[in-house]
Amino acid sequence: MLVYVAKRLAQLVVIVFVISVLAFLLVHLLPGDPTLTILGPNDTPQARAQLLQQLGLNKSLLQQYWTWLTNVLHGNLGESFITHQTVTNAVATAIPIDIELIILSQLMALVVAIPLALFAALRPNGKLDRVANSGSFAMLSIPTFVAAVILVLVFAVELHWVPATGFNRLSQGLGPNLKSAVLPSVALALGSVVIYFRLLRTDLIATLQEDFVTMARSKGLSTRYILLRHALRPSSFSLLAGAGISIGSLLTGTFVVEYLMQLDGLGFQLVNAINQRDYLMVQGFALVIAVFYVLINFVVDFVLTLLDPRVRRA
Amino acid sequence: MPEGHPVPVLPPIERASVAAPGAELIAEPAESRAKRRTKYGVLFWVCVGIVGAMILLAVLASVLPIQSPTSLDYQAVNSGPSLHHLLGTDDLGRDLLSRIIYGSRVSLIIGFGSVGIGLLFGGSAGMLAAFRGRGTDGVLNALSFVLLAFPPILAIMVIEAFWGKTLLKLTLLFALVATPQLFRVVRANTLSFANREFITAARSMGATTNRILFKELLPNVLPSAVSFALIGVAIAIVVEGSLAFLGLSISLPTASLGNIINEGAQLYNLQANPYPVLFPSLYIFLLIVSLNLIGDRLRASYDTREAKL
Amino acid sequence: MQSSATAGVGTGTPKKGGTLVVGVDSEIDGFLPSQNHWDNTGYTYAYAVLEALTAVTIDGSWRPYLAESMTANPDHTQWTLTMRPGITFHDGSQLDADVVVANLEQVLASALTKQALQPITDVKSTGPLTLTIDTNEPFITLPYFLASQVGFIVAKSQLDSQNTQRPIGTGPFVYSQWVPNDHFTVTKNQRYWQSGQPYLDSITFHPIFADESREAALRTGQLDIMASRDPHVIKDLAHDPSFSQINTLSGRVGEPDIDFILLNTEADPLSDLTVRQALARSIDAPTLNKLFGAGITPAATGLFYQGSPYYSNNGYPTYDPGEAKSLIEEAKPRHGGQIAFMLQTIPDPRLIDTTQAIQQMWNQVGCDVSIGTIQQVELIANSATGHFQALTFELFGVSDPDLNYQWWSSTTAAPIGSIALNFARNRDPVIDAALEQGRTSSDMATRVAAYQTIDRQLAKDLPYLYLGVAPWSLTAATNVENYNNWILPDGSREQGFNAGAFNPSPIWLVET
Repeated sequence: MLVYVAKRLAQLVVIVFVISVLAFLLVHLLPGDPTLTILGPNDTPQARAQLLQQLGLNKSLLQQYWTWLTNVLHGNLGESFITHQTVTNAVATAIPIDIELIILSQLMALVVAIPLALFAALRPNGKLDRVANSGSFAMLSIPTFVAAVILVLVFAVELHWVPATGFNRLSQGLGPNLKSAVLPSVALALGSVVIYFRLLRTDLIATLQEDFVTMARSKGLSTRYILLRHALRPSSFSLLAGAGISIGSLLTGTFVVEYLMQLDGLGFQLVNAINQRDYLMVQGFALVIAVFYVLINFVVDFVLTLLDPRVRRA
Repeated sequence: MPEGHPVPVLPPIERASVAAPGAELIAEPAESRAKRRTKYGVLFWVCVGIVGAMILLAVLASVLPIQSPTSLDYQAVNSGPSLHHLLGTDDLGRDLLSRIIYGSRVSLIIGFGSVGIGLLFGGSAGMLAAFRGRGTDGVLNALSFVLLAFPPILAIMVIEAFWGKTLLKLTLLFALVATPQLFRVVRANTLSFANREFITAARSMGATTNRILFKELLPNVLPSAVSFALIGVAIAIVVEGSLAFLGLSISLPTASLGNIINEGAQLYNLQANPYPVLFPSLYIFLLIVSLNLIGDRLRASYDTREAKL
Repeated sequence: MQSSATAGVGTGTPKKGGTLVVGVDSEIDGFLPSQNHWDNTGYTYAYAVLEALTAVTIDGSWRPYLAESMTANPDHTQWTLTMRPGITFHDGSQLDADVVVANLEQVLASALTKQALQPITDVKSTGPLTLTIDTNEPFITLPYFLASQVGFIVAKSQLDSQNTQRPIGTGPFVYSQWVPNDHFTVTKNQRYWQSGQPYLDSITFHPIFADESREAALRTGQLDIMASRDPHVIKDLAHDPSFSQINTLSGRVGEPDIDFILLNTEADPLSDLTVRQALARSIDAPTLNKLFGAGITPAATGLFYQGSPYYSNNGYPTYDPGEAKSLIEEAKPRHGGQIAFMLQTIPDPRLIDTTQAIQQMWNQVGCDVSIGTIQQVELIANSATGHFQALTFELFGVSDPDLNYQWWSSTTAAPIGSIALNFARNRDPVIDAALEQGRTSSDMATRVAAYQTIDRQLAKDLPYLYLGVAPWSLTAATNVENYNNWILPDGSREQGFNAGAFNPSPIWLVET
């Protein structure tokens, strides 16, 4: 067990390291540099050279990376070249938002998807199954940002139930916090519902066709019992993998919703930083996102082994 | 079985052409199964027709008697369906029907192309990794993490800065994002089968890796993989709209379903004329429902749970 | 569209207290005048906490502001400023001539800001509250420059630390907190030198980049006041009785912010004047404005507002697609048989629509135009380095035309590949001469003639294809009073809302 965790941690370090190198290289490959944002049209060669030296960007790529890495290991992620806000500060602003949105949206999606899938698997191609299928596909066909626009129009502007933009931190009270988080969470949950529903349904149907289920039924166990106790567990593999992916894509794919609702999350800040060539911000965010992603999926993998002990712990 | 103890998961036993006792509770009797092999049902053919029509329209777009997707009709901006414009116009006065047909070209290629490549490379890698386990799995899994945990937006921006944004390149970019995802899903799925007794049995009988992969694992893994891949097609088509939002998608004024929706989703456009958002979404919806039904019917009639030895 | 003269001017007794929430459309990079560049959001923030040496009035003239007086010698080569006594910065330090000189020296040394004040040769204090500014040529318009970013004064401690995140000024509000992209909060300056003000207890600024989201936030009551240049948002709010609105469409001070296509006069095929004339003649700007400007954006055919003293009929080419076609045909052989180029823009929905329409208009007269979407930062970089053929731009909103000197002079032009502020790289000796006249003569008639000449030359050289005036508007909830009525110490009224920037300091809130 300890070996397993240690192995996984080692993997985490290696993966995150590789990602940090990739992020560093890629963002430096982008044409231009922060002097564009800082100096604007006054980007004369002398001013640029002076600024580059000031920012430490005239050193070799290897040197720059090494400096960054050693700083990171000392807990210093650097600061924005443009606003001088520390990267740690920016990340600390973003993370609570994304965590809350991910938790809320995935909970919403699961609460809808799991019961739907259970009922649908009972009677494959029955009426409920068809409706649930169509409904989930309909949710898929609408892009998140369209959903966000419509949700804001109806629930914020027309009904005044929730704010239209912004994120109220927990420190300002649970009520305001939830109110500001509910619309973006719903918008983000829509895409996840279909993933969970479809994957779980497929697996449930397949599992229900297996003989051990037939055997359980022949022993007189009710369908509901069978579903919940015996079929759900082995069918959850794909669900879990789907959760890993769904959450992962939410870590960076939320830009449009965050932009429209002015949520200072990872997606929004990352895209801003890339556009401004704010290298340290980009690297810092890529690092944090990577750590989160890998941790979440390690948890997923671990739960997979719990669910089915026959899965070898690679 | 005592309550509270999990039922041991037994492997699916070999199914001969005669169904095992009790299986008729869920599986169909052999006779009607055979009958169904020749008749998928009306709905199936309707869906085949729909998908076929979509593909045909996309392929034949330039020879169809439809209006140009880029010519602007200033008198008919944001108008609903009419005789002159069957599906209405967008906010630049361009014929929506024509833009959707041309746009479907771009979206279908991106959607199917990226997921197809993803299934091919990611799916097979996933199966291999789960089956082999140990080293292979460790390396491939870690590699997939690197690709997945890396913010795709950064990669897309950099690659497009150097490479441009033609249809082919966009498809490859999407494939780059889809491959590790399909790898993870197929791997997870395969893991649930790879350790079952029928595989061990096959192995002990001297079956080669290839044989086990293709004859035993693949048929069991494929339904779930295809199911997920299908969703992936729709997701790819829709996500392309988000890229269009950032200006990172296909160059204007080339249409794609995603950028039609994107332009139409501006609040004042949406309120004036919801059709540029509605019709492409409907198209995507029809596509995925049809494909799903086709896939379901195909799968149901070719019962793939047999272990072939 | 209403443009009420009384909207924004408070009536009744000012009420003290309350917090104002302002929505802004971008985030700034910092509060140090010599190191940052302030867009409209920058100025809106700055007005709350910092103050400038001078201020521009609503009739287009200027007044000393932090300076008690500002006079020039007869040939305007030396300006003498006397600062107001008894003003303290937020950190308690005194406002004196030395700190003003230190501020100006930093601005003159900084690559970002020195270009604007290029004629200045020396700044020195001549007494505890007096200083002189020497210039190498008559610099009539210096007071206008000192009303802009380069004239804002910060405390010595901020100059020394070069801290860009925390402004220490003399303004009516004091810095409280700044979280970029989230909020900027300021609280009442209890020791403000203009006693009785400000009325508000605090102000919170929230950047909300998407215009429609900002409108939604205003409608839900999250914001009390916000500026926007999105025509649809403006129109939506203009006739809504729950809000009052002002705009800059009928302003007369200086020049408006103009939407235009920037052409690189040194890049083929745009270097060919015939081609530029054809492009100008094939844009149907009124239709564009009707379609994408919600019908409220006035077309622009020149640099100046219709009611402005600088306005004249400048001979800008009229819409004539037939003529444009023959011009293109005539030019084609000179450019390899085709007129092909790329029009670049940013992924802003309004600009996306506009460029696609313009592309059509140009292609219909025989061109082969493609569209490229790039980010704002790249757009600016491309314009500065000349790596572009045509791109969409918005500029020129200033209180005095001389502040646009750097965009039009050949002294700031450079070949493609080198940085040039004269983005279009249009070198016109007539314009150069007129620019000098406008900068150095104190006679209004001469200045008017000079800028009208520039207007006419630009309409002839065609480095800019004008599309429309940016319809900047400020919309406030009905409980917000006096949002466009900043009164200067001598009783005159400051120019007010301009190109998206406004001063929230004189506001008070009432019950509704």
